[in-house]
Amino acid sequence: MASPQALITGNEDERRTLVVVFLRGGADGLALVPPVSDDHYFKARPRLGIRSEKAVQIDNHFALHPEMSPLADAWHDGDLAIVHACGIEDDTRSHFEAQDLMEHGGVAAGGWLGRFLRVRPAPSSGALACVAVGRALPECLLGAPTVTVMQEFSDFSLSAKSPNLRSQLEALYAMESGQLGVAAKDTFDALTRIEAMRSQKYQPANGANYGDDDFSRGLSQLAQLIKADVGLEAASMDLNGWDSHFTQETAITGLIQRLARGLSAFRTDLGSRMATTSVVVMTEFGRTIQENSAFGTDHGRGSSMFVLGGGVQGGRMHGAWRGLAPEQNERRGLLDGYGDLPVLNNYRDVLAPVLVRHGAVKEDLQKVFPRFSLNPLPLYA
Amino acid sequence: MRLSRRAFLALSAGALAGCGKPADIRNTVRRFIGKPTASPLEGALTAPAASEIDDISHVLNRLTFGARPGNYARVATIGAKTFIDEQLAPAKITDTLCERVIRHEFDSLADPESRLFPRKADAKDPLVALFPAMKDRGARVSDLYEMKEKVLLTDLTRATILRAVLSERQLFEVMVQFWTDHFNIDPSKGECRWLKAADDRDVIRAHALGNFRDMVRASAVSPAMLWYLDGRENRRSSPSDKPNENYARELMELHTLGVHGGYTQQDVMEVARCLTGWTCRDKKKFFKGRVEFHAKDHDDGPKRVLGMDIPGGLGARDLDRVLEIVTAHPSCTKYISWKLCRRFISDDPPKSAVDETSRAFAASKGDIPATLRALFATPEFWANETRGVKFKRPFHFVVSALRTANAETNASNDLTEYLRRLGHAPFRYPTPDGYPEEATHWKSTLLWRWNFAAALAENRIKGTHIDLDELRARIGGNDALLASIFGRKPTDSERAAFLEPGAGLALAIAAPAFQRC
Repeated sequence: MASPQALITGNEDERRTLVVVFLRGGADGLALVPPVSDDHYFKARPRLGIRSEKAVQIDNHFALHPEMSPLADAWHDGDLAIVHACGIEDDTRSHFEAQDLMEHGGVAAGGWLGRFLRVRPAPSSGALACVAVGRALPECLLGAPTVTVMQEFSDFSLSAKSPNLRSQLEALYAMESGQLGVAAKDTFDALTRIEAMRSQKYQPANGANYGDDDFSRGLSQLAQLIKADVGLEAASMDLNGWDSHFTQETAITGLIQRLARGLSAFRTDLGSRMATTSVVVMTEFGRTIQENSAFGTDHGRGSSMFVLGGGVQGGRMHGAWRGLAPEQNERRGLLDGYGDLPVLNNYRDVLAPVLVRHGAVKEDLQKVFPRFSLNPLPLYA
Repeated sequence: MRLSRRAFLALSAGALAGCGKPADIRNTVRRFIGKPTASPLEGALTAPAASEIDDISHVLNRLTFGARPGNYARVATIGAKTFIDEQLAPAKITDTLCERVIRHEFDSLADPESRLFPRKADAKDPLVALFPAMKDRGARVSDLYEMKEKVLLTDLTRATILRAVLSERQLFEVMVQFWTDHFNIDPSKGECRWLKAADDRDVIRAHALGNFRDMVRASAVSPAMLWYLDGRENRRSSPSDKPNENYARELMELHTLGVHGGYTQQDVMEVARCLTGWTCRDKKKFFKGRVEFHAKDHDDGPKRVLGMDIPGGLGARDLDRVLEIVTAHPSCTKYISWKLCRRFISDDPPKSAVDETSRAFAASKGDIPATLRALFATPEFWANETRGVKFKRPFHFVVSALRTANAETNASNDLTEYLRRLGHAPFRYPTPDGYPEEATHWKSTLLWRWNFAAALAENRIKGTHIDLDELRARIGGNDALLASIFGRKPTDSERAAFLEPGAGLALAIAAPAFQRC
């Protein structure tokens, strides 16, 4: 077996991994990152507003939801950047349409992450260069060179009735020189490393404390892949169930818990490897500023995006913010009430600097986000 | 007939999922497809006897999606050159089985554009008659409306795979794939999801072995292309309108001249001006999918493209002038010839072969069979170092495995899933440049090739069935079987590996030699 430290293949010079977490259902940015110093916030949400005494104050204006507290360290260490009032330019309120637009990167064919992996001058070559944790390929990865859709590590395996097929193939491919021989060796190495991971119970590093749920399990698998140097360049994960029309607190408190605990454990687990790993958290749209009669919120526009790790200029809010005063908001013809948090920061302008961090050049960005004039946020020094 | 096909689609998933026993699969496949989907093993199945790839195996490797049992014997009788001539004239090739399957199973692919779109079901719609049956299986009324899109793309994908597997017009199908990449359209954009079916039929298949200039013309006014590269939004209704350059750029960069083909940003803008006013009616309108030229949205001033003047006032005829200029340009000749040589000779084709092919392309004014005939006559095509060294793209690998094993298949989702895992499912490439050709892009696909090989050999792919014992017996034993798979006699180590316990067909399909052509 190859030395566990040796990198199998892929981006040899820059071992960087991008993890994209999609919160499906329209996550409420105003619950995740409440603007607790804004009186309008509590006027619009007399029952659902996150009271400042319970929240984790992160600057003069914003706090984190109490269940987000596991991420407070990342914020204070400057490892977590937040962009509020973020979203797509289209004002569709359809989950499906909004997710599609966001994951395709506009009215474009294929997914933005798939295109990114495909258009770079040195396309991904490793068998495990891209992993979608889950059962199906997410739209953002359409068009990627190869994706391993993986719920469990056992999904990445050679499955044949004969247990000898692998050794027989190894013998045949050992006689190959050139690209094919190298590619085969990479693949066998990746299989060996995954098998090693499967055969022993994973011990997260640095006392990282993952939860006992699918989200944490997925992240701990990704952490293992990153540490095993299998050449993982991009991964996607979903956390579903954010559509909180009714009794929002009940609906999303547990989700926020899972989100924050999973990400915090992932960061602790990776330790110094977090410097070359970025996590982006996004959702298709936010929710109405005003709570509804069912203790919930409805489909809105802007929400928040999070960028964790990878040398981001964290510990601060990025992008534009105008407060919640009614005249600042998107009114959709409403005569009274608060309307929607407008999209002041296009999601592409958050993703673009992250992709640059992961090796994209200007021409790549035009292909990843066609027909959009980018104005990337300065997320990095 | 229509009803039975749709019933098939609606019910096939459940029915096929229910037939677990291998013995049932063949019958089930036959029942759904209606007829056997593998040619019967008839005539001589003589396998190659040389230890290197000979002329016969070489043309089968390169002009087809892989040899079927019996192909080698037949080409050995008529000669490789005659086979090339045959393949260059597909209309004269009898292709009964393939035509019958496609006509029987995929009637919607023949619909006019407007009928490709989904529509609200009315009382006469056969889907309504079908609905009670669907409802029993948990479908909702709203699914009827959504169904068309999925059915159409599934149809197109399955038809593409089945044609590659079954057709006797193999070079034609190879060229269909070549041009599908060249004029790539990803149906996941806007109304391409319906209109790509028409593009496949009226642009790609209509001209795949016709004239290149006609194909570019058809593509320029293809409704799917007008959607995909935004041509439908390219207008100049008022002097302040800026033309949409997307199609103009790709027309030159990807479709005709190549990225360093000698055009400038100014040329891109001028071509975009020439094409203003062409648009496509969207699904909210009557005559949806119809392509129209709107003179009021056309910039009718004089233009200059690649050093040639186009006078003002030509209106819609600007398009013809632009296409004449770009397709007759020497860069176009060179670029298309180079791409063809890359496909048929090697990832980095020798300049001498490209020059020879270019001469034929220019002399024939873009006649594709004449160009290919010249390419197939170059010494570089026949050179020893050309043979058996090209890395098959995943689609080619999968189809060649089905062909060499004489598999019956209905190209169901289970099979497409392997292509998707391999990053090469039909109509799934996002950017306009089409799936890459060179081996370096496909290096990371080995694990899923091996998994496919094992699944095929073990009859674990739903809707796909092989009978290895029958094939081996008819072909004359293990050595002959291996020779038939590899296109040459197996090496000692290949033979030894194949005979090890549990190896068999999975190992042969997964072996290095079968990854190349």
